Amino acid sequence: MANLKEIQRQIKSVTNTQKTTRAMKLVSTAKLRRAEELAKRSRVYADKTNEMISDLAGQINCLKVGGIESRCFAQIDEVKMVDVIFVTADKGLCGGFNMRTIKATIKLMNELKEKKIKVRIRGVGKKGIEFFKYNDVELLDKVIGLSSKPDMQRSAEFITTSIKDFRDGVIDGVYLIHNGYKNIITQEMHVDRLLPVMVEDFDCEKSTKKSLLELESKDDEKMLDSLVTKYVEYNMYYSLIDSVAAEHSARMQAMDAATNNAKEMAKSLNVKFNKARQESITTELIEIISGVESMK
Amino acid sequence: MDTFKLEIITPNGIIFCSEAVSVTLPGEEGEFGVLPEHASLTTLLKAGVIDIEKSSKSMESVVINWGVVQVTEEKVVVLVDGAVAIRGENESEIAKALDDAKTLMKDIGDSNVALASVSAKIESAAHRLV
Repeated sequence: MANLKEIQRQIKSVTNTQKTTRAMKLVSTAKLRRAEELAKRSRVYADKTNEMISDLAGQINCLKVGGIESRCFAQIDEVKMVDVIFVTADKGLCGGFNMRTIKATIKLMNELKEKKIKVRIRGVGKKGIEFFKYNDVELLDKVIGLSSKPDMQRSAEFITTSIKDFRDGVIDGVYLIHNGYKNIITQEMHVDRLLPVMVEDFDCEKSTKKSLLELESKDDEKMLDSLVTKYVEYNMYYSLIDSVAAEHSARMQAMDAATNNAKEMAKSLNVKFNKARQESITTELIEIISGVESMK
Repeated sequence: MDTFKLEIITPNGIIFCSEAVSVTLPGEEGEFGVLPEHASLTTLLKAGVIDIEKSSKSMESVVINWGVVQVTEEKVVVLVDGAVAIRGENESEIAKALDDAKTLMKDIGDSNVALASVSAKIESAAHRLV
């Protein structure tokens, strides 16, 4: 009978877990819908900003527009130090979501190290920060709470340090790593170089604009600078909201899988329980019958 | 009639995307108008009102607080931080849009003179609609 009790206890525990995971899945589904909506609406803006900035950078490089010496568009030959910013979630229980970002960060770090480039790591999100802390990797700064509640102002403040250091020549590049939302079941790793602005994909031959680019402002450097700042800030913010959407979709999946597993487990435990019960009844019957037999 | 494609995009989505005959933008150095086949140009925009003349000859106004515009021969793309379109089916909707626009202007906390001139423009845009 002790065995029966034990199995019963297990069944109860598994069904309780199942209830929790199902609830978490529902919560994530609801949150995902909101986050997805936000990410979708912002994507247009992010895409357009990127398009505009790379178009500008490309034209500046192709046409060798004079007088523009902004570091943001320059090709830096000797890279000594770069900033690597990663965005992970503050919470776990979302499958391999955080681990993938961490792995991508480590991969990029190793690649940069091979090229003898120093790396400054700036972390957003508790999970990633904990991982690097555990592995004794030094982080330049740590931000917790931003990745679960993306905020334009805070993200702008965070990235400003990197922009400033880049302009001052302390660092020679800024990389941003985040796990983004692709669709409800897949996430996509993004490793982007924010600064200097990417111009590699720009094809000078293809640019068939009839008129030359004209920058109209009292001070074209000022306009480019504020545009680049906006671009970097917005990319940072966008990566946060994209990451939140991805986190919820990852958690939803993980919790769905967990609920299914719990269901399977409860089923097999039930079978086990029935077998044990049958067994104990049979044993009891045999005992009674043999007792009666011996009394004859 | 010649038209060009005009897109006004905010972080919260596209608020205007259609063909336009002409558009007046509040540039850093003053207002300027754009007609189809305008030469390529990229510039900053300050807080103000974008006046759009649509292909149906009707006018539409959008209040913005900051922005960048990229003009090419065939297309004008305006990226803005915050924007409110002054439009609506009836008076109460227009009044609401007006209020939104004024709050947007107040949030920038720009100089009073600039604020006043923009407010005046907003009012006149609203009057056109009524």
